[in-house]
Amino acid sequence: MLRRRLLDRLDVPTIAAAFALAAVGMTAIASATAEQSARAGLWKAQLAWLGIAALAAVVVIAVDYHIWAEFSLSLHGVAVALLIAVLLFGKEVGGNRSWLAVGPATFQPSELAKWTTCLAIATFLAKRVHDRLRFVQALQLGAIIGVPMLLIAKQPDFGTALTFVPIALAAVLLGGLRWRVVALAMCVVAILAPFGWRHLKDYQKERILTVVDPGRDPSGIGYQVRQSKIAVGSGQLTGKGLFKGTQTRLNFLPAQHTDFVLAVIAEELGFIGAAGVLAMFYYLLYRGLLAARSSQDKLGTYLSLLVVSWLAGQAAINIGMVLGLMPTIGVPLPFVSYGGTALISVMCGVGLIANVRGRRFVN
Amino acid sequence: MDYRERWELKEYQNEQRLGSRATLLHAVIVIVLAGFLGVFWYLQIVKGDEFALLAENNRLRRIALPPTRGVVFDRRGEVLASTRPALNLVLVRDGLTDAEGQLKRLESLLGIPYDGLKGRLKAMRGRPTFEPLVIREDVQLADIAKVEARREWFPSVEVEQTALRDYPDGPAVAHALGYVGEVNEAQLAKIADGSLQQGDIVGKTGIEREYDDVLRGRRGWKLQTVNSLGRPFGSSQPGREPEDGRPLHLTIDKRLQRKLVESLADEVGSGIFMNPNTGEVLALASTPGYDPNVFTAPVSRTTWTALISDSRHPLNDRAISSFYAPGSTFKVLMSIVGLETGAITPQTTVFCPGSVLIYNRRFMCWKQGGHGTVDVHKALVHSCNVFYYLLGKKVGIDAISKYAEMFGLGELSGIDIPGESRGIPPSAAWKQRLQKEPWYPGDTISVSIGQGLLAVTPLQMVTMISAVANGGTLVRPHLARDAKSEATKLRVSAASLALIRDALADVVEEGTATRARLGPILVAGKTGTAQVFKRSVGVDADKQPKGERDHAWFIGYAPAENPEIAFAIVIEHGGHGGTTAAPVARKVLEVFFEDRLPRKDADPLLQANLSADAETSSAATPTPR
Repeated sequence: MLRRRLLDRLDVPTIAAAFALAAVGMTAIASATAEQSARAGLWKAQLAWLGIAALAAVVVIAVDYHIWAEFSLSLHGVAVALLIAVLLFGKEVGGNRSWLAVGPATFQPSELAKWTTCLAIATFLAKRVHDRLRFVQALQLGAIIGVPMLLIAKQPDFGTALTFVPIALAAVLLGGLRWRVVALAMCVVAILAPFGWRHLKDYQKERILTVVDPGRDPSGIGYQVRQSKIAVGSGQLTGKGLFKGTQTRLNFLPAQHTDFVLAVIAEELGFIGAAGVLAMFYYLLYRGLLAARSSQDKLGTYLSLLVVSWLAGQAAINIGMVLGLMPTIGVPLPFVSYGGTALISVMCGVGLIANVRGRRFVN
Repeated sequence: MDYRERWELKEYQNEQRLGSRATLLHAVIVIVLAGFLGVFWYLQIVKGDEFALLAENNRLRRIALPPTRGVVFDRRGEVLASTRPALNLVLVRDGLTDAEGQLKRLESLLGIPYDGLKGRLKAMRGRPTFEPLVIREDVQLADIAKVEARREWFPSVEVEQTALRDYPDGPAVAHALGYVGEVNEAQLAKIADGSLQQGDIVGKTGIEREYDDVLRGRRGWKLQTVNSLGRPFGSSQPGREPEDGRPLHLTIDKRLQRKLVESLADEVGSGIFMNPNTGEVLALASTPGYDPNVFTAPVSRTTWTALISDSRHPLNDRAISSFYAPGSTFKVLMSIVGLETGAITPQTTVFCPGSVLIYNRRFMCWKQGGHGTVDVHKALVHSCNVFYYLLGKKVGIDAISKYAEMFGLGELSGIDIPGESRGIPPSAAWKQRLQKEPWYPGDTISVSIGQGLLAVTPLQMVTMISAVANGGTLVRPHLARDAKSEATKLRVSAASLALIRDALADVVEEGTATRARLGPILVAGKTGTAQVFKRSVGVDADKQPKGERDHAWFIGYAPAENPEIAFAIVIEHGGHGGTTAAPVARKVLEVFFEDRLPRKDADPLLQANLSADAETSSAATPTPR
C-alpha cells in the first residue's frame, strides 16, 4: 500500500527532466570520447553510475524529508568526517586530493557534502523562530557551510569549494540576513580579498586574469577558454551533427567529457542544442521552485530552494566557464558531465525536491 | 489581537516574505539563463562563421608529399642515379614504455650504441610524440629479420618505408653527378618562392645541383585531419599530387666513365673526354673520388670529417676546379699564336743547341745537346723549348694573352655543373692584379713553354684542343643531352690548324706520346709536364720522389684525321705526361673505339706488337718536358 502511494505521489516531470539531462550528457560523453581509446566506452560507466544514482534517489524520495531533517546534522557530520578523511588518506588525482577509495570504486566526499549542507541549512532555517538571522545564527550558518568548504578548498579543489558560494548566498537570502550584517560581511570580504589573492597559486591567478583578458596566453591557460569558445562558436545554429564535432572529438578541447561537456553539445547540436539544454535546466529548476511554493511547511520550502540554488549555481559556474565568462575551474555541469559521485549527488538533490513535491499534501 | 492572532499574522508575513525571496531567486535564475542564451547566440550565430573558420584551421594540416626525384641516365640509357625504396628502423615514441630496455637490447642485437640513441631520444623531447625516433636508416633486411624474430623484446620498434637516392655506380660517376642532401638555410633563403621547404631533398653539387629544378619535381600536399597533438587522424582530403622529377639524359658514357676512373686508379688526377664537335662530355672523372651514396642518408660526422680532412680533397672536382701550369701542352696554343700573328711561317726554322741566352739568362731545353734545326712541326712533335722561347720573345705577352683568351684559357667554359674555376690567364693585367708587379719581358719566356704565371683547368684544355680538332670552333662543354649547345667560330686560319693537327698526330706516332698509340686508329695529342718545384728543371722527373714530381698532362683527340673524341688528362705528381697520362687516355680510347679495333683476344700477335711498341719507343726516347 505504501509502495502504491509512493508511486502515486512521485514527481515524474522533475525526475524525467533530470534523467533527460543525464541522457544528453551520456550522448555527449560518448561522442567526446569516441576517438580516445583509453576512454572509449566511458558513457557505459556513466550509465552504470546513473543506475546507482537512481537507486540513491529512490531512497532519498522514499524516506520523508522530515526524517532526513532529523538526521541532517549527523549526516553533515559524517560528510565533514569524510572530508577530513580524504585529506588524510585521499587519493591524489591531478594535484587534487579529493578522492576516497572504497574497494575498487573511488568517490568524492565533497559531492556528498553539498547535499548534506543543503539539508542541514534547510533544517536549521526551518527550526528557528525569528524570520531574520541573528548574529549568532549567522555564525552557526557560516559554520555549517564554511567547514566543508574550507576542507574542500584545502584539497585544494577550489572549483567544488566555489559551488558552496551559491548555496551560502541562497541561505543568507532565504534566512533573511539584516542589511547591515550583509554590508559588514562585504566590507570584511573587500578587506580580505587582497590577502586571499596573494594566497592563490599562480595558475589560479592566471585563470582569473584570463577571464579579464582572454588573449593573455593562447596556448597556456587561455588555450582552454579559446578552444572552448571555438568549439561552441563553430557549432553555429544547428551544429555539426552528433558524433561529428571536430574540436571536441579531436581533442583540441581538453576535459571535453567532464567540465567542458556542454561545449561538445554546443558544437555538435549548435545553438538549438545549447538552448535546449538551458531550457531543460530551466524546467528542472522551475519544478524545484514549484515544489518550494507548494510545500506543506517551511522545511520543504527551504529544502527545495536550497537545492535549486545549488544546482543553478553550479550550472551557472560551469556554463560561464565554457563560455569564457568565468575562470577555468573544475566544476562539472550537473547531470551532464561525466563523474559518478557528482551524478549521485545531484540526483539525490533532485530526490529531495521530488520528496517535498510528493508530500505537499499533509497526511 | 491576542497572542494566537499575532502569531498567525507573523507566520503569514513570514510566508509572504519567503514567497517573495523565492520569486527573487526565480528571477535571478531566469536572468542568468537568459544571459547565457544571449552569449550562446552571440558566439554561435553572430560570430559563428568566424569560429567555424578557426575550427577548420585548428584541425586541418597540410602534409607535404615529397616528389620522386628524376632518374639520371647516361647517353646509352643506363641508369646513373635513381630513387630506391629504403627501410628505416624507428622507435615509436607514442606510448613508449621501457625505452631503456628496448634500446639496450638493440645495442646487443645490432650493435647500435645505446648512449647515442638515448641522447637523440632525449633531444626529441618536446617534439610531437607521433614523430618516431629513427634508430637506423636504410637498414639491412637481415637486421630487420633479427628484430622481427624477437618481436616481444621490441614492442615500440617498427620499420618505416622511405626513399633514398641511389647511385648504382658509386664513386665512378661521383663528381659529374654530385649528390643530394637536405636543403640548408642558405638555399632556403635564396629560393623564396616557397617551392622549397625545410626537409626537402635538393642537389648539392654536380648535375644534381645544376639540374635540381628538373630533377626535384614539385612537392604536393594533402589535407590531413589532425588532433590537438598533430597526430593524423581518420581520412585525408586530397590537396595536390606531387609532381615527380623529370628524367635527365646525360651525354656521359658509363663505359668510358668507368674505364677512366679505373685507369686513373690510385693516382690523384682527373680526366675529361668529350665530343670535340658538339661539346658533349663523354666522361669526366676526378680521383680520389667518394661514394655519393654516403650522402643520401644524413651523413655521419665521422664520414664527413674523413672526407673533409683528407689531404687529397676527394670532394673536389679536379677536372673543372683545379688548375695547373699547362706545361708543354701550351705549345699547341703558342704555335697558333706564331702562325696567326705571322711571327713564324711553316718554314721558319730555329737552331736548338740545348739552351738559349735571353735577357742575360740561360733558358734550357729539356734535351741535352739540343734538337738541332727545327721548324714548328718538329718543335711541336719533339717539344723543343728553345723554339718556343724565341717565339714567345718575338710575339710578346699581349698576343699570347689574346689567343689564350680566344681559346678559352682563363675563361669559364660554361659547363653545366657548378664549381668551375677560371685558372690564371697569361696576361700582364693579371700579374698586376695577383702580384702587384708589372710584367717583365722574362716572364713571357717561361709562359711560352706553359710555365710561370699561368694556370689552366683540364676542362679548359679539353675545350682548347677540341677547337683545334674541329677546325676552329670553341664549343661549350655540357653533360646534359638537351643542354643548349653553344659554338663560337674562331678567327683562326684553317691552314694553321691543319699544320698543328698534322704535328699532333706525329707526337703520338713518333714523338713524346707514343704510349697513347692505338693501332689502326690514329691518335693526336700533346704531352706536358707542369713544374711543381723550380729545381726539377733538368732533373729526370720520373726518378724524383712522388710528392716532388711534376704534374703530368696529356691532351689530344682521335681519330687524328676526323676527330670524334677529345680529351685532357692530368695526373698530379705523375711525372711525365707521356709516361703516366698517355696510357690513361689510350685505355679509355680503346673502349670508345672498341668496335673499330681488332679484338685483343682474337689477335695475340698484334696485341704483343702494340705493347712492345709502346715499351720500346718510350725507352728509346729521352724524357721530354
